[in-house]
Amino acid sequence: MQKKSGLIMLAIAMMLVMIMSACGNNNNNASEPSASSEPSASASSSASSSPAATETEGTAGASVDTSKEVKLKMIFVGPKPVDYDAVFAEINKKLKEKINATLEGEFLDWSDWAQKYPLKLAAAEDFDLIYSANWAGYNDQALKGGFLEITDEMIQKYMPQTWANMPKVSWGQAKVNGKLYMIPQNRGESVEKLILYREDLRKKYNLPEINSPESFATYLKTIAANEKGIVPFTPETGDWKYHNLDRVLLKQQNEWNMFDLDMPFAYKLTDEKGQVFNVYETQEFKDLMVYYKDLADNNAWSKNVLNSKNDHQQDFKAGKTASITHNNGTLGALMSQMRLENSPYEVKLADINQGKKKSVAISTQNGTSIHATSKNVERSLMLIELMQNDKELHDLMMYGISGVNYEPVGDDKYKATDKFQNFYGFSNWNFNSPLNRTDEAFPQEASDLVNSWEADVYHYPLETFVFDNSKVKTEIANVGNVMLRYGIPLEYGLVKDIDKGIADLNKQLKSAGLEKIQTELQSQIDAFLAKQ
Amino acid sequence: MKRQTFWNDLKNYKVLLLMLTPAVIFYLLFAYLPMAGIVIAFKRYDYAGGIFGSPWNGFDNFRFFFESGDAFRVTRNTALYNIAFIAVNNALQIFAAILLFEVGGKWFRKIIQSAMFLPYFISWVVVGAIAYNLLNYDIGTVNVLLRGLGLEPIDIYNTPAYWPYLLVLVSAWKGLGYGTVMYLAAITSIDTEMYEAAEIDGANIFQRIMKVTIPNLYPTVIILVLLAVGNIFRGDFGMFYNMIGNNGILFSTTDVIDTFVFRSLITSNDIGMSAAAGVFQSVLGFVTIMLVNYAVRRYDKDRALF
Repeated sequence: MQKKSGLIMLAIAMMLVMIMSACGNNNNNASEPSASSEPSASASSSASSSPAATETEGTAGASVDTSKEVKLKMIFVGPKPVDYDAVFAEINKKLKEKINATLEGEFLDWSDWAQKYPLKLAAAEDFDLIYSANWAGYNDQALKGGFLEITDEMIQKYMPQTWANMPKVSWGQAKVNGKLYMIPQNRGESVEKLILYREDLRKKYNLPEINSPESFATYLKTIAANEKGIVPFTPETGDWKYHNLDRVLLKQQNEWNMFDLDMPFAYKLTDEKGQVFNVYETQEFKDLMVYYKDLADNNAWSKNVLNSKNDHQQDFKAGKTASITHNNGTLGALMSQMRLENSPYEVKLADINQGKKKSVAISTQNGTSIHATSKNVERSLMLIELMQNDKELHDLMMYGISGVNYEPVGDDKYKATDKFQNFYGFSNWNFNSPLNRTDEAFPQEASDLVNSWEADVYHYPLETFVFDNSKVKTEIANVGNVMLRYGIPLEYGLVKDIDKGIADLNKQLKSAGLEKIQTELQSQIDAFLAKQ
Repeated sequence: MKRQTFWNDLKNYKVLLLMLTPAVIFYLLFAYLPMAGIVIAFKRYDYAGGIFGSPWNGFDNFRFFFESGDAFRVTRNTALYNIAFIAVNNALQIFAAILLFEVGGKWFRKIIQSAMFLPYFISWVVVGAIAYNLLNYDIGTVNVLLRGLGLEPIDIYNTPAYWPYLLVLVSAWKGLGYGTVMYLAAITSIDTEMYEAAEIDGANIFQRIMKVTIPNLYPTVIILVLLAVGNIFRGDFGMFYNMIGNNGILFSTTDVIDTFVFRSLITSNDIGMSAAAGVFQSVLGFVTIMLVNYAVRRYDKDRALF
């Protein structure tokens, strides 16, 4: 009996080994061609790049052999638009004509894109282009080898118009360790946060105009005291490691840059040395905690704000909350939508730190990357070129079919039709370019406000700095955790003793390895500045 | 000679072996084969190299978990929660199964059983939303009720002390129906002659339960508990994440390994580091199940799993 079962075990074990080794072999085989295809692709492109350099711009397709039809696949984030079939059929008609290629889109829904996106790259699925963005882990995925490096020669050869039109600073911002992995959007976009509030409520209580942190606090407290059933402020849900208002009250107010608000570090925009400091140890932070605590004690936001999953924009639209914060584009779109729907509420935008330096989004806010294993690199680059610079294709990709999804108004505006939403809500922003149209109904005051910032838009030497965190990943993970556990409750005024709260927070950060990150960050910044 | 017996066995038991095949294939494909992926925990994963081609980096991936200073706390929380879940859930399920068995009336039994089973099918996301609407400070049903009665509302979402009880309660509520059905099946398979004999001997209903039903349930209980113990270091992510979310105030009593790892790595997406945490849990789980099984074996050889 014993012997028999031993034999069976042995047989099973051998089977296992065989299966495993077979699997291992397969994997090796599979990875070989993909590894070898990469250098050959770049070799061929660099070899043929010298004649391209002499060519004049505007004739992208002329020098490249496009006789063989290719099918390109691109990954977008956001839900598949309802009119995908109709619009992409049009797009493909044009693409076939111009570069003998067709495009197929795959869409990662907002609900689980964050899990699926890295998997698409990790599993090396078969696709050519992918939407990429700093908020979608662009640096990280690039460092892990998910994207193909794009050289200047490739851009000059396959996308001459883009090379001509794109501001040089945009390329610089998109580089990770000096290498480019993305064709960024070609349009500055303000990501500074504003506040959208209920003007009718402000008038009702005869409050002063909202133009400073103090007047905003007065507004919030008055609403809390007098309007039952309306939450004065509702933050955006998500994995923010800071208070939702910190972008306004900490970053803008103090003219700091805060590394995507992912780490507890900042430097002053005007500091030419780029000296990094711990945000939580500053007097500014402490003062802000007093401000927040006062608001929290006066019920300016829900006591259970950390567990609330309410959509702040929906709540605002429904009149359940009296103020929210987001960037100009989003709030402007919400305003125009509310006006279109004849909302009973009068709403207004507020900039509560007027005159402070504003910065535009860095170019990696939206972009397109080429998959590291793509077999159609040339055609993919040509596609991006067309999407950004060909008026017809750009309009199709951004707004859908003219007369169905939108009505063109002049050359740079559009009017949304009732089918506008059928081709909307997914990430086509990587094709943003000077050809973009603006919504005719977009509130004038929102555009004015941003235009008035022009004078305040500030460019600084570290604007194109990208932190390579690969050496301090462990510490980053732990610090992020501490920020969530000790920082967020403190910021939302849920910790009774501010001084003790800050001390606790800093103590925990220290043991999580804060100093190591700071040293690494500073040395990279110093090296970056020294090179300039 | 030996080979002969092996082939003979194959031949003699071919029907039985055939029946076993699907299960063996399932576990080979979904449990043993992926185990080769364990190597990821010791590698700096990059896309070009994939699972087997990425460079090794020793125990670097484990550093994050053990250097966080939270490793002990979250491991302890995970184990304690699971022990509480196992004890409370099994006790309640046995209790409910015995009650259902003793109550007559087929229809009544079926209805109660279905009602108890219902929460099992509700997703944790929905349970989380229900809990928020019941318990939140401003408009939660519980607090509205308290205010209506002129009492002070309770700020449940900012008080860590309530949560161990709440989570055990929710887990019991959700798992009750499922476990009850299993125990009910075990009770129904008890030889009715034993009950008849007990009745003739003058045993009342409580004596029947204590002396016949419960001793006969031991094997089932032991198997179910042993199986559960193997997962004692795995927090139910769906439950903890949807009930607690990112509310830092509650972490001191509610953070388990899975939520901790998720939170730390959601932004960095590091496959190696998350795999390392998974390996840690598996190793602990393996050690626990071996120890418990050994203990059971010493006590009664026939009741151990292996």
